Amino acid sequence: MAIYKDSYDVVVIGGALAGMSCAMKLASEGKDVLVLERHNLPGGIATSFVRGGVEMEATLHEMMSIGPESDPLPMRRYLDEMKVAIRWLRVPEAYDLVSQEDGIAISLHAGRRSDGTWVAADEIEALYPGSRDDVNRLLELCRKVYESVNYLNDHTVSKLQMLRDHEELVKTAGYSAKEVMNTMFPKLSAKVKKILSAYWIYVGQPIPTLPFTVYAFLMGDYMSGGSYVARGFSHEMSVAMEHRCEQMGVQMEFGQNVEKILVKNGRVTGVRTSRGDEIACRYVASAPYPNTVYGKMIEPKSEVPPEAFRYANAMPMSVSCFSVVMLLDARPEELNIHSYSVFSSETAMNTVKFWKQGRKLGGWDYLTTICLNFANPDGVPDGMTSLSITYLPLPECFDEVTADNYFEVKRKYAGEMIDQVSCRLGVNLRDHIAEIEIETPVTISHYTSDYRGGIYGYQHNMQNSIVARLADIERTTYIRGLVSCASHQLAGDGMAVNMNNGRIAAMQILAEMKKEA
Amino acid sequence: MKVEGFLKDVTGASRVTRARHRLIDSGSPQNLYHDHIRELAEELHPKETRVRVTRVEDVSKTARKFTFEAAEGSILPPFQAGQYVSLDLAIPDGEGKTVRTARPFSICSAPFQARQKEKPFFELTIRDGRPGEGFASGYMYNSCRVGDVFTAHLPFGQFYYESLRDAKQVVALAGGSGITPFYSMAQEIAHGTLDCSLTILYGSVRADDIILEKQIREIRCPRVRFVNVISGDPDYPGEKGYLSADLIRKYTEGDPADGGTSYFVCGPLPMYRFVESELKKLGVPKRRIRMEVFGAPRDITKDPDYPAREPEIFRLTVYRGLEETVINASSLEPLAVALERAGVPNQTRCRSGACGYCRCKLLKGDVFVPSAGDGRRYADRKFGYVHACSTYPLSDCAIKIPIC
Repeated sequence: MAIYKDSYDVVVIGGALAGMSCAMKLASEGKDVLVLERHNLPGGIATSFVRGGVEMEATLHEMMSIGPESDPLPMRRYLDEMKVAIRWLRVPEAYDLVSQEDGIAISLHAGRRSDGTWVAADEIEALYPGSRDDVNRLLELCRKVYESVNYLNDHTVSKLQMLRDHEELVKTAGYSAKEVMNTMFPKLSAKVKKILSAYWIYVGQPIPTLPFTVYAFLMGDYMSGGSYVARGFSHEMSVAMEHRCEQMGVQMEFGQNVEKILVKNGRVTGVRTSRGDEIACRYVASAPYPNTVYGKMIEPKSEVPPEAFRYANAMPMSVSCFSVVMLLDARPEELNIHSYSVFSSETAMNTVKFWKQGRKLGGWDYLTTICLNFANPDGVPDGMTSLSITYLPLPECFDEVTADNYFEVKRKYAGEMIDQVSCRLGVNLRDHIAEIEIETPVTISHYTSDYRGGIYGYQHNMQNSIVARLADIERTTYIRGLVSCASHQLAGDGMAVNMNNGRIAAMQILAEMKKEA
Repeated sequence: MKVEGFLKDVTGASRVTRARHRLIDSGSPQNLYHDHIRELAEELHPKETRVRVTRVEDVSKTARKFTFEAAEGSILPPFQAGQYVSLDLAIPDGEGKTVRTARPFSICSAPFQARQKEKPFFELTIRDGRPGEGFASGYMYNSCRVGDVFTAHLPFGQFYYESLRDAKQVVALAGGSGITPFYSMAQEIAHGTLDCSLTILYGSVRADDIILEKQIREIRCPRVRFVNVISGDPDYPGEKGYLSADLIRKYTEGDPADGGTSYFVCGPLPMYRFVESELKKLGVPKRRIRMEVFGAPRDITKDPDYPAREPEIFRLTVYRGLEETVINASSLEPLAVALERAGVPNQTRCRSGACGYCRCKLLKGDVFVPSAGDGRRYADRKFGYVHACSTYPLSDCAIKIPIC
């Protein structure tokens, strides 16, 4: 028998979270799906690696949209519905924020009481008296927007319903997180606003240009349901989905690089792999960025309309990642580490400043430190600490890096990050490193081939908010049968969000199929 | 989400939508695709590198050093001293067939030599295979000639000096062909591009087993020290015996327990077991010990966890995509070897169970995975994935392998 069938209903390029989610959803509707992944593992950057017999997380890992078993959030429900078996572990706190110059040091926890008050509001009140009511109101607003977005994900609503049931979303959709905080919560102090801005890094967009819808989605989710990691590391999410895809009849193939997307008369007709296999299909769900797709994958080139290039060229790239992943030979308490995730800066909290620092190498002052022990204690050997330090720079910071200075650059800036965290902890982490890996935009590109090592797709700024993207979805479809399926798509970045992106891509394809039938 | 028409009516939303239209219209209609980071990733990790043998030199009675330069169309990527290359090999099996396989070899030349302007190269030192083992190294030793062209994959491996992690003082504990990564490190130190000191303690049975002795002696650098330790000749004038705790202490500046020295170990499997316990006796902190992976065990039945049983030939059903092939698989050999013997295209890199390049899904059957060669991730174990290079069949099996 041949390796492939002659044709499939859908070929999914990229076996990461979005691609596998898309494949599962299509398979659940009886479609014949082939997933082609160029790497030998599923999951893209939702993966892990083993060093010295110890497994370590490769990603800034924290799943949203899971929630407790008793009160599941949408992604837990979706994964359950798809029968994806993942053992979830709850992260104890939402986050710690330490801003030295601001004198901010606070630990916030998720949790909403039935009377609409929030645990985090009390925690902030304890340090900044008088802010409780406003924080409660802000978090309630976030939750309502979050619920509206989730509802609208799956339902078509009338104008009347929209105004009646989703007023908060309608009111805030056109504004940034900063605009909404300033106009609707004028009494919130600057420091409290800073404390409530910490998650900006999960979108890689500073607060003044971060759409409130996106901000509210993050806050509404994480602050109510908390965050989760998989017992078997991020790789468990990926393998559980891979496993489930195969059970559902999806053909999953690894080590298969799709070189060309074949197009005729503006319509997808198939794909060709580097091995030379030509596979027919009328639909392609693509993890490669539009830049890569239009720039070098469409065959023949004449099938790419100038508008497609306009779109790809105009989209501003969001962040990539620079991570130092370490196994340390001491317990967290011995290293003065007490929480799972800490956002920290030496200078005053200013998200625009932090974001701009990412254009160049070094001097990065908003670091995310994740200590796996607190969420997944059985995943770390006794007496050790599994720690990662991450900054999310823009891809352009690597413009001057070459093969000759790459290793030097890697070590230099990883060293700066280690020293900065050491300084905050009052413990020299360099004296404890048993294993270390440094991940850069080049690492991302090596394992995923994603355009410019991007991890978050295009900037999720005001012009590009989910609302604007949604309003434009048909206008930005340039080749029939070709659907984006990754963080450059509608809902943006994040692991749970990408699972949802895949689901949305599948629904787009299903709707199109129906129309064509 | 189906509210497009409506969202356009909302004041704020229409503001952002108009802004997005302006943004898209501002883009150039030309193909401006350029990805510097992708190019850099491909330069650092080329999918494959074609290389040609340009020199062959005897470096002991039973070992040869092979010099490789990039063949037309290829460029040697940078690597770090201690990393390895995987060579694709096509070896006649003596019965008229050719076995396609791959072997990892530590690079013994220095990284700077692969990046120099004039004739960049890398070198591998390969020892003749002993009867019944060393199938591929024996073939390379005896048959590889100047002018031969190979497909190489590099760089791989984590056995290199990492300045953020390792101590400035390194003591290398080498045995047999395990000397090769340290020759690479020594030259890089002498060249001034690796900032640490290196004392090589090299255990051999007899003086004429020593590999690369002349070459290492020629390195003139106060930061590199080379000590042979001979176990099988009571009359040897230098250090005698094994790489014992006493010997290691003698060549360590300061107390081995204080963390001021990193120990790098590379050699045959029995040496690891011995050296590991010696380092433990000395109280060396675990983070100061780096061990190179050591290949498949010569006799899997000697593994203490191996279930007692007679050798057997099993049926192995292999899926590559939708293609199904049934082949024989010996209980004494890893699945990867069964695939190679049967001519099923398959790829390996480390051949030690570590790198996961040969990860495949076990659909049916019982297997044995030696704990020393089990580099699998937690979830892979949970969902039944194995690394073919370190998995031995205990029954008829079915696996799904990546297409290559």
